[in-house]
Amino acid sequence: MTDLLRILIAPLVWLAAFISVYALHGLLCALQMHGMVLGIPLERLSLVTAYGLAILMQIVLLLAVYRGWPLAPSSEFVRFVSRVTGWTGLMATIWSLLPVMMTTSC
Amino acid sequence: MRALTRHRKLSAIWASEEGFKGWFSTVNHNDLGRMFLMTAFLFFLVGGLLAMLIRAQLATPHSAFAGPDIYNQIFTMHGTIMMFLFAIPTFEGLAIYLLPKMLGTRDLAFPRLTAYGYWCYVFGGAMLLVSMLLGIAPDGGWFMYPPLTGALYSKGINTDFWLIGITFVEISAIAAAVEITVSILKFRAPGMTLARMPIFGWYALITSLMILTGFPPLILGSILLEVERAFGFPFFQAELGGDSLLWQHLFWLFGHPEVYIIFLPAAGVVSTILPVMCRTSLLGYGWIVASMVALAFLSFGLWVHHMFATGIPHMGLAFFSAASTLVAIPTSVQVFAWIGTMWKGRPELHLPMLHIIGFFVTFIIGGLTGVMVAVVPFDWQAHDTAFVTAHLHYVLFGGFVFPMLAGIYYWLPHVSGRKRFFHLGELGFWLIFIGFHVTFLAMHWVGLLGQRRRISTYAPEDGWTQINLISSVGSFVLAIGIAIVMLDIILHALAQRKTRRNPWRAGTLEWAMLLPPPAYNFASLPEVTGRAPLGDDPKLANALARGEGYLGTPRNGWRETLMVDVASGRPEVLVLFPTNTQLPIAMSAVTGLFFLSLLIKVYWVTPLALAGVAALAWRWIWQGGRKNDLAPQTVRPGCDLPHSTAVDRAPGWWGSLFLLIANGTFLGSLLFGFAFLWTIAPGWPPPAWVDASAIEVGAGLLAAGTSATAIRAATRANDAGRPVLPALSIALTATLAMTFCCAALLWRTPAPTEHAYGATLFVLGSYGLFHTLLAVLMVVHLITRVLLGYTSVARRAEFPIIRLWLDYIAMIVALILLIGHMAGWFA
Ligand code: HEM
Ligand SMILES: [Cu+2]
Repeated sequence: MTDLLRILIAPLVWLAAFISVYALHGLLCALQMHGMVLGIPLERLSLVTAYGLAILMQIVLLLAVYRGWPLAPSSEFVRFVSRVTGWTGLMATIWSLLPVMMTTSC
Repeated sequence: MRALTRHRKLSAIWASEEGFKGWFSTVNHNDLGRMFLMTAFLFFLVGGLLAMLIRAQLATPHSAFAGPDIYNQIFTMHGTIMMFLFAIPTFEGLAIYLLPKMLGTRDLAFPRLTAYGYWCYVFGGAMLLVSMLLGIAPDGGWFMYPPLTGALYSKGINTDFWLIGITFVEISAIAAAVEITVSILKFRAPGMTLARMPIFGWYALITSLMILTGFPPLILGSILLEVERAFGFPFFQAELGGDSLLWQHLFWLFGHPEVYIIFLPAAGVVSTILPVMCRTSLLGYGWIVASMVALAFLSFGLWVHHMFATGIPHMGLAFFSAASTLVAIPTSVQVFAWIGTMWKGRPELHLPMLHIIGFFVTFIIGGLTGVMVAVVPFDWQAHDTAFVTAHLHYVLFGGFVFPMLAGIYYWLPHVSGRKRFFHLGELGFWLIFIGFHVTFLAMHWVGLLGQRRRISTYAPEDGWTQINLISSVGSFVLAIGIAIVMLDIILHALAQRKTRRNPWRAGTLEWAMLLPPPAYNFASLPEVTGRAPLGDDPKLANALARGEGYLGTPRNGWRETLMVDVASGRPEVLVLFPTNTQLPIAMSAVTGLFFLSLLIKVYWVTPLALAGVAALAWRWIWQGGRKNDLAPQTVRPGCDLPHSTAVDRAPGWWGSLFLLIANGTFLGSLLFGFAFLWTIAPGWPPPAWVDASAIEVGAGLLAAGTSATAIRAATRANDAGRPVLPALSIALTATLAMTFCCAALLWRTPAPTEHAYGATLFVLGSYGLFHTLLAVLMVVHLITRVLLGYTSVARRAEFPIIRLWLDYIAMIVALILLIGHMAGWFA
């Protein structure tokens, strides 16, 4: 089971982060939170922070997968597949949440 | 023992009852897999017939063939049947039939569950067919959007047939998914590590996990809509704090993954057959597994792309547009792996290969038009036109039907033990291929010219006449092709030419047995050392028949198999399967009674039916026990294994785990709905909030904690040989207290018909109440088992199972009480 988890974890966390950021965005739009912090609109700031956190989490996961933490994978095959899915999680996070940097929010 | 004697003995042990009586009591995957496939094929014919009616209607302008009312029913039933009663059950049937054979074991993890799922599928499907024959079939389109399907605009019983019938059928999907997941993880041949698993096993595993997490949102949506229609809870009514967009979210949360749930098994078939047709091995096994995992997850993050035209904020659109383009990458990895495999090998153009080529061409075009509609501005133009229906058929027909046809021709000798004699299949292929492309290329085109989908007719001035006629002619060519394939298969079944044992010279284990396969699959279970056991050792089948593997000596009339470690495939547990029984069909009939009573609104039957299901379920679980310890049994010289009652992780534990994952997703979707309505829906705040009570929350949390602690104490006591009843009585008290707290929450909920807030809270409370009652039943069950001597220090398997459930229930009760009452405090 830990092997299976190792394979699934990075995309799973991507999914959770993706949906959370989407929900956060929906929430910000619904509550109409306006205001500025450090000269940046509040909405943008919170979305970008969430984006950064999501990427950070993926990087940590990728490191964990490469280090074989907390348990070493049971086989070369599992090691390989979990590395590929680890990269998938990171790339998917960067690409799919990129709109927080580019488009207007509501 | 001679091979023939062994065969006779095993056959006697594993055989279903003779004749057609056997259909109702069989629990064998060989029978049930074939029954599933046959039934699904019947539904394909019905769905195809409806498609012909659609094309006949659209062939000419102002067609007098069917009025809009009937046309609505026709296309709704066509889509519904194809998606729910053909595609998903075909996967289930194929997996049920093939997996134990490919994985080198004798049956699936829960044979009775296989049968239960099958009968739920048959009864639920029959409900929909009946509605069609009576002319009151669902007519709201296959995705059933409210408010069109709400009580106001859809007054008859049509929509209820869909909501209730499909939910009934979904039970079979969940049952099959639990079954397949546990079988793949735990019921493999010894030595079959994850890396040695036949590639189809990976696809089936990923698909099943997707069913477990993808179907609950739809089940929830259907329940909510049905409750709204029957009792007036306003989940989807904007005036009363509901939102019809909630349905779209729930539906597509299921609906998009559904597309991949259909595609992945088909891809699994291609990945299995292609290397054999090319006389080589599959290129990039690890890459394929990784990209299918990626695809599965990505597909859960795409649902909003079906809602691009609903006025969602720009950034939201951009998220889902970006994520949608992303799926092209794992899909391409998969396609290039196939191309590489062909490149590496020497493709031989047998009939299955023809269908695979048909699949390639069609699916790639479908993928490209998919990327087109993933682009928001283009989608705004093409949305709800025939372009979209054409796209989805390229993906569904190309991505599912062609691979399945390849699969049919590939495994036909396996099922029948015969050789193909007449070569009508090639002609059939070409007619299907040409007919399909004529039909749907034309539909792309006419869609771009502006023809909307789901219109029963159009005017000559629209300028769509010729193209539609061409499309309809194409569809009839396609139908003739299907008819020829059918004829080919019927002739095949009648012809008397026995096939060789491994006609395609494949490497996977399903070919290492007698053809057609005996009920027990393998006379003894192989020890697997590579990915292509039969390729490595072509004489394997004979060695297994001589009993040289595991469990080679039939004994005590037991249906025996092994459970292995997930990663390494090391044998761990001896499993004795249940034998033929009519319990599954009885239970699904009573389940059907429950759904039927809701459908025709005879509500006094509903609780009786529920009690009936509970009683049968009790009996079901009861049958699995032993009153005396069974010493570890020799499964092969030098290898003794404990029986599954004498371990901590019995099959039932694994089944419960995955069922709970589906269950948790259901609750998650409900909470999502709650949050969505609260923040997005107009018409909030509600007129009244819950009258919160700190005492009840406190008591509930305490009870939840106590039940979890008490069941742990009981487990420890049992392991140490101490009396367990004291701890179990505490657990019983705690579960009763939790029941009380959930009931009290329901009591406090403001009138559910007045506002979506009360309605959602009511559902949440009912979910809690249902589970706490379940917890009470489970603890009572365990107490009775202890009293009647079904447990001992060794026979401990039931404790961890009940503990798993109680943990889950304690958790959700705490969550529900907190969320429920908190709303009152905040307000
Ligand atoms: C046998 C050949 C088939 C033909 C000729 C065909 C034809 C059609 C046509 C013309 C429509 C559009 C109806 C309209 O919008 O007015 C349609 C809708 C649809 N088809 Fe098929 N189809 C075929 C097979 C399939 C298969 C195999 C599947 C799925 C596995 C499928 C799934 C659907 C779905 C989901 C819809 C949408 C229904 C709706 O709008 O509610 N079809 N089909
Ligand atoms: Cu989609």
